[in-house]
Amino acid sequence: MNYPVWYVPAFGGGLLIALVAIVHVFVSHFAVGGGLYLVMTERKAIREQDQSIMAFVKKHTKFFMLLTMVFGGLTGVAIWFVISIINPAATSLLIHTFVFGWAAEWVFFLVEIVALFVYFYTFGRMDDRTHQIIGWIYFAAAWISLFLITGIIDFMLNPGEWVTNNNFWSGFFTPTFWPSIFFRSFMSFMLAGCYGFLTASFLDNEETRRKMVRYSGKWVLVSLVLSVPAGWWYLAILPDKARSLAEGMSPTITRAATVGEFSLVTLAAAAITLMLLNSKSLTKVLTVVVMIAAMGYLGAFEWTREADRRPYVVNGYMYSDGILERDVERIDQEGYLKNAKWVQYKVVTEANQLDVGKELFQHQCFACHTVGGFNNDIIVRTKNMSYDAMRKYLATIHEKRYFMPPFIGNETELKALAAYLVAGLNKKALIEGAPAAGNRGKSLFDDNCAPCHGADILKPKIVGWSKEKIRTALDKLSALNPAMPDYNAPAADKDAVSGYLHGLNNQESTSPVKEQGAELFEENCTACHGFDVVKSKMSGWPRVKIRTTLDKLSALNPAMPDYNGSAAEKDALADYIVKQTGGAK
Amino acid sequence: MNPATLIPTADALTIHWGWFQFLLMFTFPLHLFAMNAMLGTALTAFICHLRPERCYQELSHELAKVLPFFMAFTINLGVAPLLFVNVLYGHLLYTSTIMMGLFWLAVIPILIIAYYLAYIYDFKFNKLDNLAKFAILFVLLLLMTVGFLFSNNMTMMLSPASWLRWFAEPGGTLLNLADPALLPRYLHMMIGSLAVGGLCVALYSSTVLKHDTGVAEAGTRLGMQLFTLLTGMQILMGALFLLTLPGEVMKRFIGDNALATGLLTVGILLAVTSLVTSYRRNITATLCLVIPLIYVMAFIRDSVRVGYLEPYFDMAAVPVNVQWSPLVFFLVILVLGLAVIAWMLSRLRGVKKVG
Repeated sequence: MNYPVWYVPAFGGGLLIALVAIVHVFVSHFAVGGGLYLVMTERKAIREQDQSIMAFVKKHTKFFMLLTMVFGGLTGVAIWFVISIINPAATSLLIHTFVFGWAAEWVFFLVEIVALFVYFYTFGRMDDRTHQIIGWIYFAAAWISLFLITGIIDFMLNPGEWVTNNNFWSGFFTPTFWPSIFFRSFMSFMLAGCYGFLTASFLDNEETRRKMVRYSGKWVLVSLVLSVPAGWWYLAILPDKARSLAEGMSPTITRAATVGEFSLVTLAAAAITLMLLNSKSLTKVLTVVVMIAAMGYLGAFEWTREADRRPYVVNGYMYSDGILERDVERIDQEGYLKNAKWVQYKVVTEANQLDVGKELFQHQCFACHTVGGFNNDIIVRTKNMSYDAMRKYLATIHEKRYFMPPFIGNETELKALAAYLVAGLNKKALIEGAPAAGNRGKSLFDDNCAPCHGADILKPKIVGWSKEKIRTALDKLSALNPAMPDYNAPAADKDAVSGYLHGLNNQESTSPVKEQGAELFEENCTACHGFDVVKSKMSGWPRVKIRTTLDKLSALNPAMPDYNGSAAEKDALADYIVKQTGGAK
Repeated sequence: MNPATLIPTADALTIHWGWFQFLLMFTFPLHLFAMNAMLGTALTAFICHLRPERCYQELSHELAKVLPFFMAFTINLGVAPLLFVNVLYGHLLYTSTIMMGLFWLAVIPILIIAYYLAYIYDFKFNKLDNLAKFAILFVLLLLMTVGFLFSNNMTMMLSPASWLRWFAEPGGTLLNLADPALLPRYLHMMIGSLAVGGLCVALYSSTVLKHDTGVAEAGTRLGMQLFTLLTGMQILMGALFLLTLPGEVMKRFIGDNALATGLLTVGILLAVTSLVTSYRRNITATLCLVIPLIYVMAFIRDSVRVGYLEPYFDMAAVPVNVQWSPLVFFLVILVLGLAVIAWMLSRLRGVKKVG
């Protein structure tokens, strides 16, 4: 809104940030843990008076310097460059809030460079004690760099009291700061061991190779074990919404967690195997496995951390599209176009509707969605939605799917975006006022109640309630729970909602929804997947199996929310699916 | 559309903008010193390959050894001023960065290639044999390409009128090539850098390499020749740059703004005097003139920026929410960091010489 957008339709910036960030942390964490590894291994060589270990340390230092100083340093700058292009508003916020944190980190970067140069170029030419001190200085500077960057990164996940007081230190020492420091420190020591394997695998001397592989293996395994409780602590201290996402509400985090768990086990297994075996060729192969698994583990963590703050870029403060949460209400009233700087149109007309929709897409959706690209393709995501369904979905997008930011703007702007998605991208006709979905009560429930509690939460609480009791309760919700606002709606709406709620536990009282399977599918399923996915999955399934599956969708896929429709709705949906997939009745 | 309406709203500062301006103007010339040494070293090393004498071959090898140091410090010392520019002008800089996004991102792989090539040039100098001159030439060209991309960004951010092009081309493929001042500005920067780089080579040769008189003499002579020749060209290029600036900006330097005019006058005097001292091969005197000259040039550059932005942006209007403790924290860290660096460098005195 405040900035232009780097718009390459098929190429989304989010993926670029993730790729650069994962590659960078894989080297930058090594730059920290590897510093300790170097100085400790040198100490081991001095104590044991073992020249072969000392030669290993020198060789490893050269590799360390070339990798961390050049690639590590420049990919760090790359992250800065990438985020300033992809999310300039958030970058500006981070720079302005933490400028002296960054500046202090720059000083430590300078100390690291000097220390590493001195350490490498004076190998064997300086007395051991001073050389060791230089090594310790390097490690201390590198670890403090990690300390500073962690504070700033964690600010984005949970800005804590900063949101109210804007104080540098409140933003830096947030609740997730300490678990993050421990986790990242263990990660860095783990990576030091992994890279130790790498250098060791090229050693010709069998005895030294075995010695250094076992030594490095201890670094990997001990750090890996310690990283697990640190990770658990990190997860436990997340804000509620973020923890819910991490615990299964977000499909992308679920995938990342699977990768992380698999990588963790593979890494441990490969490291143990390496320590037990001593074949040069096998060492190289297993080292490659270790490196890939380590990247998988660290990558899964970074991916989760990035995805977990959604729909925000700074949790509870700034949305992924750069809009501040505090401005949303005002912009909704005044209109997005009026407040946006980088738009061509200030008013929506019939003639420019699609162009405005495209501009709104660029500013509000493109931060996460590509157009026809590999990552999160908006065309695929919306191909099954009608204009009506799209408008309804956009109006409550954040409520329906927490990790999506709300659409920000007025009603005509929302229509323009819906029109662009449906007609502009999916080439469908814009038919307004299509027959309303059969279950109006559900629709009203989704609009008014689901932001705080879904039907699944409510269903067990109203078991045995008559329709009349529910209807009466709707008249005075605050009497049920003082925290709940009253539902101020016409009596007809309340009737519809009470009918729907009663239907959650009573099949016989549901509204007639036969022949509505298609509509129900569009309303409830197409936001995440089209029918093609269902068809490929359920093709040939008997109806009874489909119907049973609809009772517990999360069993089919943990990332999928359970369908909270009534039994009759599920019947209608099952009939529709079976008809379309050609399954046995 | 009025381009001024496109200018993003600047975020609030945490202390008075003067502090950031001070830190920017203090650290930017440090980056320039390292960058000049880096470019000068690369150019001199390349020229050495074109001369058959042993001393030049030795000199190029010696320069190969120091080039990675200069690259490391150029990058590190570039981070600080870029940070402070982000604070003061981030809303303008990010806009032009997005417009040239593809090129801006290319800076990173270009630098990684140049950096690794510089290490190959150093560690594999003898093995490279005839390829060495091509390797160092490629490094030089890559680094100068980075400079060109920086010049584009630093000028496009000053020119909101050019931002309107984004609506037709939002893919990050825009450069500021239509600006008549771009090329003179870039060449002014590059020629000046290479000239000072020549001086750095002369200084390095006459001090660190003095044990080998042939190499020291070759380095000193070549470095000072480069400085004299390029500084002469630089004065002409500077005049061209001045003439291609927009009228209002140019007028600042010819009387409209006393400070800007004074800076330019001092800059010209220092440059001309350094020509005399360099012609006489007086390295120390030339250095004493060039160090303040670089600071003066940095201030002139800043004055050009202020001139460009005068119709669009008033720094004093940016809100300030004062927080002193982070600044104090940084200053303490800076002092401690410099002390640790000084201690580490002091330990180098006792280091045994290699073979």
